Amino acid sequence: MSERIAARSLNNPWRVAGHYFFLVLLALICLTPIWVMISTSLKDQITIFDGKPIWFFFVPTIENYQDVMGAGKFDKYLWNSIIVATVSTFLTLLLGGLCAYSLARAEFKGRRFVANATLLVRMVPPAVLAVPAFSMVLAFNLRSDLMVLIFFYTALNLPFAIWLLFGFYKQIPVELEEAAIVDGASPLQVFFKVLLPLMKSGYAVAGIFTFRIAWNEFVLALLLTGRNTRTLPVAVSGYLTDTGVEWGRIMAMGTLIVIPPLLFTFFAARQIIAGMTAGAVKG
Amino acid sequence: MPGVGLNNVVKAYGSTVIIPDLSLDIRESEFVVIVGPSGCGKSTTLRMVAGLESVSAGTIHIRDRDVTYAAPKARDIAMVFQSYALYPHMDVAGNMSFALRLAGTPRAEIDQRVKRAAEMLELTDYLDRKPKDLSGGQRQRVAMGRSIVRDAYVFLFDEPLSNLDAKLRSTMRTELAILHKKLDRTMIYVTHDQIEAMTMADRIVIMDQGIIQQVGSPRDVYTAPKNRFVAGFIGSPSMNFLDGELHGSGSKLEVHGQGFKIPVSKRMQITANAAKDRRVTLGMRPEHFAATANKDGKYAALNLDVDVAEYIGSSQFLAASLGGQPITATVDVGPDAEPMGSGQYFFDTNRMYLFDRASGEAL
Ligand SMILES: Nc1ncnc2c1ncn2[C@@H]1O[C@H](COP(=O)(O)OP(=O)(O)O)[C@@H](O)[C@H]1O
Ligand SMILES: [Mg+2]
Repeated sequence: MSERIAARSLNNPWRVAGHYFFLVLLALICLTPIWVMISTSLKDQITIFDGKPIWFFFVPTIENYQDVMGAGKFDKYLWNSIIVATVSTFLTLLLGGLCAYSLARAEFKGRRFVANATLLVRMVPPAVLAVPAFSMVLAFNLRSDLMVLIFFYTALNLPFAIWLLFGFYKQIPVELEEAAIVDGASPLQVFFKVLLPLMKSGYAVAGIFTFRIAWNEFVLALLLTGRNTRTLPVAVSGYLTDTGVEWGRIMAMGTLIVIPPLLFTFFAARQIIAGMTAGAVKG
Repeated sequence: MPGVGLNNVVKAYGSTVIIPDLSLDIRESEFVVIVGPSGCGKSTTLRMVAGLESVSAGTIHIRDRDVTYAAPKARDIAMVFQSYALYPHMDVAGNMSFALRLAGTPRAEIDQRVKRAAEMLELTDYLDRKPKDLSGGQRQRVAMGRSIVRDAYVFLFDEPLSNLDAKLRSTMRTELAILHKKLDRTMIYVTHDQIEAMTMADRIVIMDQGIIQQVGSPRDVYTAPKNRFVAGFIGSPSMNFLDGELHGSGSKLEVHGQGFKIPVSKRMQITANAAKDRRVTLGMRPEHFAATANKDGKYAALNLDVDVAEYIGSSQFLAASLGGQPITATVDVGPDAEPMGSGQYFFDTNRMYLFDRASGEAL
């Protein structure tokens, strides 16, 4: 039925044109800000503030990049970001996976409720947690320690990771584990040889979300980091100065910040496809 | 005694008792089929033998060794699951060799064993396919293959054929029987399908509500069911049950009920005389009805009101009633007969069964 409608609509040139119009529009909406960021990062201060915006024809300069990367602590901030994002992603997947597995396999009343309720926690915006988080960190005198951010990002991301992985684990029939046990697999072998290969897509999806959030998060990072523990998003805000906003440098840094999560996503997305082709879990 | 022994095994989930007290001895190399309606505790029993389910009380022995608390891999068992439970990310060869690889079997031996099992199951051309690229029947055979490369002491099957279509199922039944002959291993097979049980088993265990109702050869349980449950469960279409009373005495003993009076066969007379004042249930298998009387006179004439006569080749299946109670019969009238109508039919009284109406036990 719906296929027939789809087929008929594809025969109508106006409809096809309409479809493409919408797709192009959506693509433009998504891509324009990125182009503005990249192009601005390649302009000097004068070109940027030149009366009307220039979209394409200007003389590119890498001055902003040199500035940003040369400025004292860029390496340090990049390193902080990488540590915080990867370690908290690793912890989230490890702990979230264990929780999700227990929720999916253990039999107790209200299990599904618990699994879904984890999502509610996720509804709380991080900014709301900023003040309590800040006072906790003060109380334990932990400011300027990267562990603090890792800890908060893990806590922040766990609910979503648990909920997502719970759904993936639910799809794997218990019989697969039992078959492996009968075949002589130890608990660790059951996990690494049977469950993990089938959970690749699940962990990849959860990993992408977790990594991106940890990488981009700003409010908590601003409050909870000191001079040496800043992450890149916080460092960007340093270019909002009393004497003006340095758009060129902000955009250059923004462009640099986007690269690692892009690489991470490409890598993880490969696992999603690997997981999907690993195949029909149900016989 | 070698083989598999369950001794006073109890299984309860909390306060719900699934299996109150089960004892069963299975001989070495025997093909035992546990059959019973859905939910009666067959899978639970099998899974306790496998070690996938703990026992609440009692002991389990495999090959003279108490394995009650042993892990599955220490029990020398192989198991085929109803859903096959093939590893989706491994190809057929990978699925079949998984257990051997875990056990650290040398590569050459693994290859050889997988090859032999694949030949036996006609899977040689599919060894590098993933389960999702196989048909239902092929998946089923891979599941079998995965267990036979193990060369385990006991093979456990939990309704392995129930996801196949009727034709494939009967082919696989035959293949399984052949496999059992070739491997000569102890096999415990669980099913709700009495035809599977009858065709494959050396011995049948009939279970209901966690209790073994009868253990015996297919012939035993068909010809001498211990109670009404077994009588109704074994045989297809199932046995007719009619309420009745015993009248007369000695060799003149008869069962009287609504619309029928049937003389009790010689075979039944002694036991039936002893139970004369009890209310009974008369059991008649549909296949023991006929359209014409036999010369030896051991037939009772009954007037059946036939509602429908279904053509099934050389015989016809009758959905009828006798004195207002529904009754089924299959009568052998040859492939060319007209649909049968209401009238007189003949029941072979030598084949009658009598049950105590209150307890359901056979007289
Ligand atoms: N984990 C469990 N908790 C409670 N009851 C269970 C559990 N597993 C099975 N049962 C019950 O035990 C009974 C027997 O189940 P099962 O052995 O699977 O039956 P069968 O294989 O004969 O169809 C069923 O009534 C089922 O509801
Ligand atoms: Mg079952």
